[in-house]
Amino acid sequence: MSAELVLFWVFAAAIVASAGGVIIARNAIASAMSLVACFFFLAGIYVLLWAHTIAALQVLVYAGAIMVLFLFVIMLLSLTESGPVAQLSPSRILGAVGTAGLLAALVGALLRLPKTLPTWVSDTAQVQRFGTIKEVGQVMYTQWLFPFEAVSLLLLVAIVGAVVVAKPRI
Amino acid sequence: MESPLVPYLPILAVLLLAGLMAMAIPALTTRLGPRSVNPIKSESFECGNPTLGTARQRFAVKFYVVALLFIVFDVEAVFLYPWAVNFRALGWFGYGTMLMFASTLVMGLVYIWKKGALEWES
Amino acid sequence: MNTPSFGLDDFLPVLPAAILTAGAILLLVSEVFLGSATRTYQALLAVVTSVAAGALAFSNAFLPAHAVLQGYAVLDPFSSFTTVVVCLGTGLGALLGAGFLKHRNAERGEFYALLLFAAAGMSLLAMSAEFITLFVNLEVLSVSTYALTAYLRRGPRPSEAGFKYFILGAFAAALLLYGAALLYGATGTTHLSEMAAGLGAAAKAQPALVACGFFLVGAGFAFKVAAVPFHMWTPDVYEGAPTPVTAVMSAGVKAAAFVALVRVFLFLGPVFDPEVVFVIFSALAAATMVVGNLLAIPQRNVKRMLAYSSVAHAGYLLSGVAALFAPATVAPKSGVLSASATWGADSALRGEALKGLLFYLLAYTVTSLGSFGVVGALERREDETKGNAWDLDRFSGLAQRRPFQAAAMAVFLLSLGGIPPTVGFMAKLLVFRAAVDAGLVGLAVLGVLSSAAGVYYYLRVVVYMYMRPAVEGMQTPERQWTTEFALAASALAVVGLGLLPGSVSDWLSRAGLIFGQ
Repeated sequence: MSAELVLFWVFAAAIVASAGGVIIARNAIASAMSLVACFFFLAGIYVLLWAHTIAALQVLVYAGAIMVLFLFVIMLLSLTESGPVAQLSPSRILGAVGTAGLLAALVGALLRLPKTLPTWVSDTAQVQRFGTIKEVGQVMYTQWLFPFEAVSLLLLVAIVGAVVVAKPRI
Repeated sequence: MESPLVPYLPILAVLLLAGLMAMAIPALTTRLGPRSVNPIKSESFECGNPTLGTARQRFAVKFYVVALLFIVFDVEAVFLYPWAVNFRALGWFGYGTMLMFASTLVMGLVYIWKKGALEWES
Repeated sequence: MNTPSFGLDDFLPVLPAAILTAGAILLLVSEVFLGSATRTYQALLAVVTSVAAGALAFSNAFLPAHAVLQGYAVLDPFSSFTTVVVCLGTGLGALLGAGFLKHRNAERGEFYALLLFAAAGMSLLAMSAEFITLFVNLEVLSVSTYALTAYLRRGPRPSEAGFKYFILGAFAAALLLYGAALLYGATGTTHLSEMAAGLGAAAKAQPALVACGFFLVGAGFAFKVAAVPFHMWTPDVYEGAPTPVTAVMSAGVKAAAFVALVRVFLFLGPVFDPEVVFVIFSALAAATMVVGNLLAIPQRNVKRMLAYSSVAHAGYLLSGVAALFAPATVAPKSGVLSASATWGADSALRGEALKGLLFYLLAYTVTSLGSFGVVGALERREDETKGNAWDLDRFSGLAQRRPFQAAAMAVFLLSLGGIPPTVGFMAKLLVFRAAVDAGLVGLAVLGVLSSAAGVYYYLRVVVYMYMRPAVEGMQTPERQWTTEFALAASALAVVGLGLLPGSVSDWLSRAGLIFGQ
């Protein structure tokens, strides 16, 4: 087994464990901290996929900025440790069955994937090169212009939305 | 196939070092330092004052607005990295695209600035 | 590095969205720099912006269909007419919003700016031909509407509506994104046309992966158009949102989501498995029509009733979508997995269905904005906390108190019920005729039957307005000329398009010239 494969299983197991921790923890802060751990291990998986840029962003934006926002919201809501215990109700059972079904379908689909690279990957060297910030930049500002500029519109809308929804005095 | 992990070896070294420190320092202090436990000493330290209530107090919603605006501009900064790395290669064309992107967000900055969303309301 | 080159032609389709964005930014800046007390100019600026964008989109609709902006967007009559419909809805929504917000002392530039941002998102969504572009534009429109839903902030209802819409909307967007990622994994591209070319082989090699991707994308869209069983959020969100926002949501958001759905599935559906796509859309259409109408019947709350009615109308539209994939319009099963033309022979039928869809979206936009507009005009801020702000009793005797509003509401309700000579009748006629021509007689009969059930709850409001005496102490807010103007324009459009659909329906025939078919 190569080092990558060993690390993959380490990260994968850690992701499942920390994601489980997010939903199982009674304490909202502990939940949030599990999520941070989950984000970090996910960044590890991205590295194994040669997606260096995404891995860095995962740590910078998700584990950094977005988790701060999560914690602010938790403190804003001032959740206590003794939250209400979820009761079983028909809609909850239906939701659980639906989620389990979705999981089963996805796992089934992924298990059936051939163990080879997808046919559309013609150049394996390109896969190794592609994920660096330099390579991403080279295509993003030339070949992906329209979605890139659309993102600036999305961010502008997010600014206005944040002010409209949450600013104390408007 | 070259490993994607090679550039991360320094990070591994830092992690190992940090882990080692985190284990060594508490171990050394408990082994070497003198111990005297009393109730006052084990209280949380608030600059010498007696502790007041719990640390879990409600934060004001204004923190949330600031955090949200921070994320938006953080994401904007993220889009600047790949551009900065390729700045020369992209040339004036890249400059134009980034100008368009950034000027849209500058309008947002002007708006929140004048709106007073960056002020600390009390 | 090779930099791409763009011609003027590339920017033509995004120009309406650019105008809308510029208008929105102007509103934001004027809001913070001009701090004047009267803000009616903001509504008018929003209206002027949407009219300009709409006019430009209209002129674009007569250009031939082609891909622009490196293939991320397409310029075709289908998307251009959608932008026209969206701009129409936005302009009317801004007019309705002016009076509504003035009554609540909440008139601010952000409201109109968000409306225009949402419209820009809708316009861009309608022309997106690539999944990442599509997702970003969908989010532009969604984030604007989330913020608009919670715009009034005060009281539990707007908060609940905003929260519910945001959580469920984000979840649906995640499903769509996940599905798109799986399809990317199967084909190695996010461009719809390239995806269509590679999907045939991918569906053979990895059928489960492709099927999962398809269903997830479909579920995401089904949420956005509020199709049963993804409709649960609709009544609460529509009820809790400010009424002009509800009107825009029911019209514009739905129109843009429908158009994106049609585009994605027209590209990918035939290559994947038209039979499955057809069965799913037929089932969605049938369930949405029946459930929407049945749930609307017991509602005494008129705003909630109109929310369920909007679900039912999504069902009629879905039967038009199902007609696009009906067995008659696709080649026999043997040719299904080959990527090329399984359509060619039936372009007439397809054009008819697409025209029906667009006409229906236009009709529903004017009707829905009008009906929610009347509901909003009768709302008093003081009653909102009591929870009876939209009770049927508020409409009793309206014909004596506000004859114009009652008459306009009657026209809108008749149109929603599909009774001639209103535009609602013409729209239903076109969609159901497309369904029948495609061989979906059962679906069309179900549609007619369920709209007959719908007539009951629409006419009940008319009965209350004209045949019941007014309840003592019912007060209505003072009249606003902006609202009255929007209502008059909508009512005129409803009757005018119902009587003389000629030229508009001729224009919309160009919808069949959708890109890539």
